[in-house]
Amino acid sequence: MWNQGGSYGESNMGGGYTQSPGGFASPAASQGGEKKGRQRAQHIIPCTVSQLMSAAQTEDVFRVGEVEVAQVTIVGIIRTTDKSMTNIQYKVDDMTGAPMDVKQWVDTEDSSVDSTVIPPGTYVKVSGNLRSFQNHRSVVAFSVRPLEDMNEITSHMLEVVQAHVLLSKPQTIMLGGGGGMNTSMVPLSRPGMGGNMGGGYSGANDMSANGLSPSQNQVLSLIRSCADAQGISTQDLKQRLSGMSLAVIKHAVEFLSNEGHIFSTIDEDHFKSTDNDD
Amino acid sequence: MAVFESPKPRINNSMLSQYISRPICFVGRVEKVHPTGKSFTLSDGEGKSASVELNEPLDEELSGVVEVVGVVSNKGAIMASAYNMLREDQGIPFDLELYNEALKVIHEYPQHYPFELATSG
Repeated sequence: MWNQGGSYGESNMGGGYTQSPGGFASPAASQGGEKKGRQRAQHIIPCTVSQLMSAAQTEDVFRVGEVEVAQVTIVGIIRTTDKSMTNIQYKVDDMTGAPMDVKQWVDTEDSSVDSTVIPPGTYVKVSGNLRSFQNHRSVVAFSVRPLEDMNEITSHMLEVVQAHVLLSKPQTIMLGGGGGMNTSMVPLSRPGMGGNMGGGYSGANDMSANGLSPSQNQVLSLIRSCADAQGISTQDLKQRLSGMSLAVIKHAVEFLSNEGHIFSTIDEDHFKSTDNDD
Repeated sequence: MAVFESPKPRINNSMLSQYISRPICFVGRVEKVHPTGKSFTLSDGEGKSASVELNEPLDEELSGVVEVVGVVSNKGAIMASAYNMLREDQGIPFDLELYNEALKVIHEYPQHYPFELATSG
Protein backbone atom coordinates (compact mmCIF):
# COMPACT_ATOMS: atom_id res chain seq x y z
CA MET A 1 0.00 0.00 0.00
CA TRP A 2 2.55 2.51 0.99
CA ASN A 3 5.42 3.62 -1.11
CA GLN A 4 8.68 1.75 -1.19
CA GLY A 5 9.79 1.99 2.35
CA GLY A 6 12.83 4.00 3.34
CA SER A 7 13.92 4.75 -0.16
CA TYR A 8 14.79 8.40 -0.09
CA GLY A 9 16.16 8.38 -3.58
CA GLU A 10 12.76 8.55 -5.20
CA SER A 11 10.04 11.06 -5.48
CA ASN A 12 7.01 9.05 -4.55
CA MET A 13 4.38 11.57 -5.35
CA GLY A 14 4.01 11.11 -9.06
CA GLY A 15 4.11 13.74 -11.70
CA GLY A 16 2.72 16.80 -10.03
CA TYR A 17 5.23 17.29 -7.29
CA THR A 18 7.97 19.83 -7.78
CA GLN A 19 10.84 17.92 -6.21
CA SER A 20 12.55 15.96 -8.93
CA PRO A 21 14.22 12.62 -8.19
CA GLY A 22 17.60 13.91 -9.30
CA GLY A 23 18.17 16.04 -6.27
CA PHE A 24 17.84 13.18 -3.83
CA ALA A 25 20.10 10.84 -5.67
CA SER A 26 23.25 11.48 -3.77
CA PRO A 27 23.06 9.97 -0.29
CA ALA A 28 20.19 7.64 -0.78
CA ALA A 29 20.02 6.25 2.70
CA SER A 30 20.49 8.49 5.65
CA GLN A 31 23.61 6.56 6.67
CA GLY A 32 25.68 7.33 3.62
CA GLY A 33 25.49 11.08 3.57
CA GLU A 34 26.34 12.15 7.07
CA LYS A 35 29.53 10.20 7.56
CA LYS A 36 31.35 12.22 4.92
CA GLY A 37 31.54 15.15 7.28
CA ARG A 38 30.94 17.70 4.56
CA GLN A 39 27.93 19.95 4.73
CA ARG A 40 26.10 19.86 1.45
CA ALA A 41 22.47 20.67 1.07
CA GLN A 42 21.82 17.34 -0.66
CA HIS A 43 22.08 15.41 2.57
CA ILE A 44 18.98 14.09 4.18
CA ILE A 45 19.50 14.47 7.87
CA PRO A 46 17.77 12.69 10.72
CA CYS A 47 16.45 15.25 13.16
CA THR A 48 14.17 15.74 16.10
CA VAL A 49 11.14 17.97 15.96
CA SER A 50 12.73 20.19 18.61
CA GLN A 51 15.76 20.73 16.41
CA LEU A 52 13.58 21.66 13.45
CA MET A 53 11.53 24.08 15.52
CA SER A 54 14.54 25.85 16.99
CA ALA A 55 16.73 25.80 13.88
CA ALA A 56 18.15 29.19 13.02
CA GLN A 57 17.08 30.56 9.69
CA THR A 58 18.98 32.91 7.42
CA GLU A 59 17.09 33.53 4.19
CA ASP A 60 16.42 30.09 2.80
CA VAL A 61 18.90 28.22 4.88
CA PHE A 62 18.10 26.45 8.14
CA ARG A 63 20.78 25.54 10.62
CA VAL A 64 20.68 23.25 13.61
CA GLY A 65 23.77 24.36 15.47
CA GLU A 66 26.37 24.22 12.72
CA VAL A 67 24.54 21.67 10.66
CA GLU A 68 22.69 22.91 7.62
CA VAL A 69 19.39 21.13 7.22
CA ALA A 70 17.08 21.09 4.29
CA GLN A 71 15.89 17.55 3.68
CA VAL A 72 15.21 15.82 6.95
CA THR A 73 13.78 12.68 8.42
CA ILE A 74 11.83 12.49 11.62
CA VAL A 75 10.26 9.52 13.36
CA GLY A 76 7.21 10.04 15.47
CA ILE A 77 3.65 9.07 16.21
CA ILE A 78 0.71 10.59 14.40
CA ARG A 79 -1.49 12.51 16.79
CA THR A 80 -3.99 14.08 14.41
CA THR A 81 -4.83 14.00 10.74
CA ASP A 82 -6.60 16.36 8.42
CA LYS A 83 -7.33 15.49 4.86
CA SER A 84 -8.30 17.92 2.16
CA MET A 85 -8.62 17.56 -1.59
CA THR A 86 -5.00 18.31 -2.33
CA ASN A 87 -3.14 17.36 0.78
CA ILE A 88 -3.04 15.45 4.02
CA GLN A 89 -1.84 17.20 7.14
CA TYR A 90 -0.51 15.27 10.06
CA LYS A 91 0.74 16.28 13.44
CA VAL A 92 3.69 14.05 14.24
CA ASP A 93 4.97 13.77 17.79
CA ASP A 94 8.47 12.49 18.48
CA MET A 95 8.38 13.42 22.20
CA THR A 96 10.97 16.19 21.86
CA GLY A 97 8.35 18.91 21.82
CA ALA A 98 4.91 19.74 20.53
CA PRO A 99 3.84 17.67 17.53
CA MET A 100 5.18 18.91 14.19
CA ASP A 101 2.99 19.84 11.26
CA VAL A 102 3.68 17.56 8.34
CA LYS A 103 2.05 18.20 5.02
CA GLN A 104 1.88 15.65 2.29
CA TRP A 105 0.60 16.60 -1.13
CA VAL A 106 -1.84 14.27 -2.75
CA ASP A 107 -1.59 13.77 -6.46
CA THR A 108 -5.19 13.78 -7.51
CA GLU A 109 -4.35 12.61 -11.03
CA ASP A 110 -2.31 9.61 -10.08
CA SER A 111 -4.69 6.96 -8.89
CA SER A 112 -1.90 4.50 -8.26
CA VAL A 113 -0.76 6.52 -5.29
CA ASP A 114 -3.03 5.52 -2.50
CA SER A 115 -3.96 8.59 -0.56
CA THR A 116 -5.49 6.83 2.38
CA VAL A 117 -4.79 8.73 5.54
CA ILE A 118 -2.59 6.98 8.09
CA PRO A 119 -4.55 6.78 11.33
CA PRO A 120 -3.56 8.53 14.56
CA GLY A 121 -1.55 6.35 16.90
CA THR A 122 0.64 5.05 14.08
CA TYR A 123 4.39 5.47 14.26
CA VAL A 124 5.77 6.85 11.00
CA LYS A 125 9.00 7.91 9.40
CA VAL A 126 8.63 11.22 7.63
CA SER A 127 11.06 12.33 4.93
CA GLY A 128 10.72 15.83 3.60
CA ASN A 129 11.83 19.41 3.57
CA LEU A 130 11.77 21.85 6.41
CA ARG A 131 9.74 24.92 5.61
CA SER A 132 8.94 28.11 7.40
CA PHE A 133 5.97 30.22 6.46
CA GLN A 134 5.03 33.29 8.45
CA ASN A 135 7.13 32.05 11.30
CA HIS A 136 5.37 28.72 11.31
CA ARG A 137 7.56 25.69 10.84
CA SER A 138 6.43 22.59 9.08
CA VAL A 139 7.75 19.69 7.07
CA VAL A 140 6.60 19.17 3.52
CA ALA A 141 6.89 15.44 3.16
CA PHE A 142 7.69 13.40 0.10
CA SER A 143 7.33 10.24 2.09
CA VAL A 144 5.32 9.29 5.15
CA ARG A 145 5.84 5.62 5.87
CA PRO A 146 4.32 3.68 8.76
CA LEU A 147 6.95 1.81 10.73
CA GLU A 148 6.80 -1.92 10.63
CA ASP A 149 9.85 -2.43 12.79
CA MET A 150 9.58 -0.36 15.96
CA ASN A 151 13.31 -0.64 16.43
CA GLU A 152 13.47 2.19 13.88
CA ILE A 153 12.47 4.46 16.72
CA THR A 154 15.64 3.45 18.50
CA SER A 155 17.78 3.61 15.38
CA HIS A 156 16.48 7.06 14.53
CA MET A 157 17.41 8.37 17.99
CA LEU A 158 20.92 7.08 17.50
CA GLU A 159 21.13 8.32 13.91
CA VAL A 160 20.12 11.83 14.97
CA VAL A 161 22.93 12.04 17.50
CA GLN A 162 25.44 10.44 15.15
CA ALA A 163 24.57 12.68 12.22
CA HIS A 164 24.71 15.88 14.20
CA VAL A 165 27.96 14.94 15.90
CA LEU A 166 29.59 13.95 12.61
CA LEU A 167 28.39 17.00 10.74
CA SER A 168 29.46 19.43 13.41
CA LYS A 169 32.98 20.79 13.29
CA PRO A 170 35.73 18.33 14.22
CA GLN A 171 36.46 20.00 17.55
CA THR A 172 33.46 18.20 18.94
CA ILE A 173 33.72 14.57 19.85
CA MET A 174 33.75 12.33 16.81
CA LEU A 175 32.13 8.93 17.07
CA GLY A 176 34.90 7.45 15.01
CA GLY A 177 33.50 6.21 11.76
CA GLY A 178 30.11 4.66 12.00
CA GLY A 179 29.19 3.91 15.54
CA GLY A 180 26.60 1.49 14.32
CA MET A 181 23.56 0.36 16.16
CA ASN A 182 24.98 -2.26 18.46
CA THR A 183 24.44 -2.20 22.16
CA SER A 184 27.94 -1.06 23.00
CA MET A 185 27.44 2.31 21.43
CA VAL A 186 28.24 4.40 24.43
CA PRO A 187 31.49 5.78 23.04
CA LEU A 188 32.69 7.70 26.04
CA SER A 189 33.38 4.62 28.08
CA ARG A 190 35.53 3.02 25.40
CA PRO A 191 38.89 4.78 25.26
CA GLY A 192 40.08 3.14 22.09
CA MET A 193 37.04 3.94 20.13
CA GLY A 194 36.76 7.40 19.05
CA GLY A 195 38.03 10.22 21.08
CA ASN A 196 39.03 11.28 24.51
CA MET A 197 36.30 13.06 26.35
CA GLY A 198 38.65 14.98 28.56
CA GLY A 199 40.91 15.82 25.67
CA GLY A 200 44.17 13.96 25.67
CA TYR A 201 44.88 15.33 22.23
CA SER A 202 45.18 19.02 21.79
CA GLY A 203 42.67 19.02 19.01
CA ALA A 204 40.40 16.53 20.73
CA ASN A 205 40.42 14.56 17.49
CA ASP A 206 41.15 10.95 17.38
CA MET A 207 39.65 10.29 14.02
CA SER A 208 39.79 13.47 12.03
CA ALA A 209 37.22 14.46 9.51
CA ASN A 210 39.09 12.81 6.65
CA GLY A 211 38.90 9.41 8.32
CA LEU A 212 42.66 8.99 8.73
CA SER A 213 44.41 8.05 11.92
CA PRO A 214 46.91 10.45 13.47
CA SER A 215 49.93 8.59 12.12
CA GLN A 216 48.44 8.39 8.64
CA ASN A 217 47.74 12.10 8.79
CA GLN A 218 51.30 12.88 9.85
CA VAL A 219 52.75 10.84 7.01
CA LEU A 220 50.35 12.43 4.55
CA SER A 221 51.17 15.99 5.64
CA LEU A 222 54.86 15.33 5.24
CA ILE A 223 54.39 13.89 1.78
CA ARG A 224 52.18 16.85 0.85
CA SER A 225 54.71 19.33 2.06
CA CYS A 226 57.42 18.00 -0.26
CA ALA A 227 57.86 20.18 -3.31
CA ASP A 228 60.36 17.97 -5.13
CA ALA A 229 59.33 16.48 -8.43
CA GLN A 230 60.38 13.00 -7.37
CA GLY A 231 58.54 13.29 -4.11
CA ILE A 232 59.70 12.25 -0.65
CA SER A 233 61.31 8.94 0.13
CA THR A 234 60.45 6.47 2.84
CA GLN A 235 63.88 7.11 4.32
CA ASP A 236 63.16 10.83 4.54
CA LEU A 237 59.88 10.06 6.23
CA LYS A 238 61.62 7.88 8.77
CA GLN A 239 64.12 10.63 9.50
CA ARG A 240 61.48 13.29 9.91
CA LEU A 241 59.12 11.13 11.93
CA SER A 242 61.49 9.92 14.56
CA GLY A 243 58.71 8.70 16.78
CA MET A 244 57.37 6.32 14.19
CA SER A 245 58.84 2.96 13.29
CA LEU A 246 59.61 2.13 9.68
CA ALA A 247 56.96 -0.55 9.78
CA VAL A 248 54.28 1.91 10.85
CA ILE A 249 55.39 4.38 8.19
CA LYS A 250 55.30 1.73 5.47
CA HIS A 251 51.92 0.61 6.64
CA ALA A 252 50.60 4.15 6.51
CA VAL A 253 52.13 4.70 3.08
CA GLU A 254 50.50 1.56 1.76
CA PHE A 255 47.13 2.60 3.13
CA LEU A 256 47.38 6.13 1.75
CA SER A 257 48.42 4.79 -1.61
CA ASN A 258 45.51 2.35 -1.73
CA GLU A 259 43.13 5.14 -0.83
CA GLY A 260 44.50 7.33 -3.55
CA HIS A 261 45.99 10.06 -1.37
CA ILE A 262 49.53 9.47 -2.64
CA PHE A 263 51.30 7.85 -5.58
CA SER A 264 54.78 6.52 -6.17
CA THR A 265 57.15 8.37 -8.47
CA ILE A 266 60.68 7.37 -9.50
CA ASP A 267 60.49 4.13 -7.55
CA GLU A 268 58.30 2.47 -4.98
CA ASP A 269 60.03 4.29 -2.17
CA HIS A 270 59.26 7.80 -3.34
CA PHE A 271 55.85 9.37 -3.02
CA LYS A 272 53.92 12.49 -3.84
CA SER A 273 50.51 13.56 -2.72
CA THR A 274 47.63 13.55 -5.18
CA ASP A 275 46.41 16.78 -3.63
CA ASN A 276 49.42 18.85 -4.60
CA ASP A 277 49.38 21.63 -7.12
CA ASP A 278 52.30 20.90 -9.43
CA MET B 1 -3.86 18.13 26.50
CA ALA B 2 -0.99 20.25 27.68
CA VAL B 3 1.16 17.18 28.12
CA PHE B 4 1.26 16.60 24.40
CA GLU B 5 2.32 20.12 23.63
CA SER B 6 5.37 19.96 25.85
CA PRO B 7 8.60 18.03 25.47
CA LYS B 8 8.33 14.53 26.93
CA PRO B 9 11.85 13.32 27.63
CA ARG B 10 12.38 9.65 27.08
CA ILE B 11 13.51 8.14 30.35
CA ASN B 12 13.87 4.87 32.16
CA ASN B 13 13.19 3.87 35.74
CA SER B 14 16.44 5.20 37.17
CA MET B 15 15.65 8.67 35.86
CA LEU B 16 12.11 8.88 37.21
CA SER B 17 13.08 10.68 40.39
CA GLN B 18 14.65 13.50 38.38
CA TYR B 19 11.43 14.19 36.53
CA ILE B 20 8.86 14.46 39.30
CA SER B 21 5.86 16.53 38.17
CA ARG B 22 7.20 16.65 34.64
CA PRO B 23 5.87 15.11 31.44
CA ILE B 24 7.88 12.16 30.22
CA CYS B 25 7.78 9.28 27.80
CA PHE B 26 8.42 5.81 29.21
CA VAL B 27 8.82 2.64 27.19
CA GLY B 28 8.67 -0.75 28.87
CA ARG B 29 7.39 -4.28 28.73
CA VAL B 30 4.06 -5.04 30.39
CA GLU B 31 4.50 -6.98 33.60
CA LYS B 32 1.23 -6.91 35.45
CA VAL B 33 -2.12 -5.31 34.86
CA HIS B 34 -4.25 -4.49 37.86
CA PRO B 35 -7.64 -6.27 37.82
CA THR B 36 -9.44 -2.93 37.71
CA GLY B 37 -7.57 -2.10 34.53
CA LYS B 38 -6.68 1.31 35.91
CA SER B 39 -3.03 0.63 36.48
CA PHE B 40 -0.23 -1.59 35.29
CA THR B 41 3.48 -2.05 35.69
CA LEU B 42 6.13 -1.87 33.01
CA SER B 43 9.70 -3.05 33.16
CA ASP B 44 12.31 -0.98 31.38
CA GLY B 45 15.40 -2.05 29.45
CA GLU B 46 17.31 -2.48 32.69
CA GLY B 47 14.63 -4.73 34.12
CA LYS B 48 13.38 -2.16 36.60
CA SER B 49 9.68 -1.68 37.13
CA ALA B 50 7.56 1.43 36.96
CA SER B 51 3.96 1.82 37.88
CA VAL B 52 1.54 3.43 35.46
CA GLU B 53 -1.86 4.82 36.42
CA LEU B 54 -4.66 5.61 34.02
CA ASN B 55 -7.65 7.94 34.15
CA GLU B 56 -9.91 5.46 32.48
CA PRO B 57 -9.68 1.69 32.83
CA LEU B 58 -8.14 -0.19 29.95
CA ASP B 59 -10.59 -1.29 27.30
CA GLU B 60 -8.22 -3.69 25.64
CA GLU B 61 -5.75 -6.42 26.44
CA LEU B 62 -2.37 -4.90 27.16
CA SER B 63 0.76 -6.86 26.31
CA GLY B 64 4.25 -6.60 24.90
CA VAL B 65 6.11 -3.32 24.81
CA VAL B 66 4.16 -0.18 25.59
CA GLU B 67 5.05 3.48 25.27
CA VAL B 68 3.45 5.72 27.86
CA VAL B 69 3.24 9.51 27.89
CA GLY B 70 2.45 11.08 31.23
CA VAL B 71 3.57 13.01 34.28
CA VAL B 72 5.65 11.58 37.09
CA SER B 73 3.92 11.68 40.46
CA ASN B 74 5.89 12.44 43.60
CA LYS B 75 5.71 8.76 44.42
CA GLY B 76 7.53 7.97 41.20
CA ALA B 77 4.53 6.53 39.41
CA ILE B 78 3.55 7.64 35.95
CA MET B 79 0.16 9.33 35.64
CA ALA B 80 -0.53 8.45 32.04
CA SER B 81 -2.17 10.73 29.51
CA ALA B 82 -1.80 8.25 26.70
CA TYR B 83 -0.22 4.96 25.85
CA ASN B 84 0.37 2.93 22.75
CA MET B 85 1.54 -0.57 22.23
CA LEU B 86 4.56 -0.91 20.00
CA ARG B 87 3.41 -3.42 17.48
CA GLU B 88 5.42 -6.54 17.10
CA ASP B 89 2.92 -8.21 14.79
CA GLN B 90 5.34 -8.11 11.87
CA GLY B 91 7.33 -10.67 13.76
CA ILE B 92 10.06 -8.20 14.61
CA PRO B 93 10.54 -7.97 18.36
CA PHE B 94 11.31 -4.63 19.89
CA ASP B 95 14.78 -4.61 21.44
CA LEU B 96 14.16 -2.93 24.76
CA GLU B 97 17.74 -3.28 25.96
CA LEU B 98 19.00 -1.52 22.84
CA TYR B 99 16.42 1.21 23.37
CA ASN B 100 17.81 1.63 26.87
CA GLU B 101 21.30 2.09 25.43
CA ALA B 102 19.91 4.68 23.03
CA LEU B 103 18.38 6.49 26.01
CA LYS B 104 21.81 6.79 27.53
CA VAL B 105 23.18 8.20 24.30
CA ILE B 106 20.52 10.86 23.90
CA HIS B 107 20.93 11.95 27.50
CA GLU B 108 24.68 12.02 27.01
CA TYR B 109 24.31 14.35 24.04
CA PRO B 110 21.44 16.68 24.94
CA GLN B 111 22.83 19.30 22.57
CA HIS B 112 22.14 16.92 19.70
CA TYR B 113 18.86 15.50 20.94
CA PRO B 114 17.14 18.34 22.73
CA PHE B 115 13.95 18.00 24.70
CA GLU B 116 12.97 21.58 25.04
CA LEU B 117 10.42 24.14 24.04
CA ALA B 118 11.11 25.92 20.78
CA THR B 119 12.91 29.17 21.30
CA SER B 120 12.96 30.56 17.83
CA GLY B 121 10.25 30.90 15.25
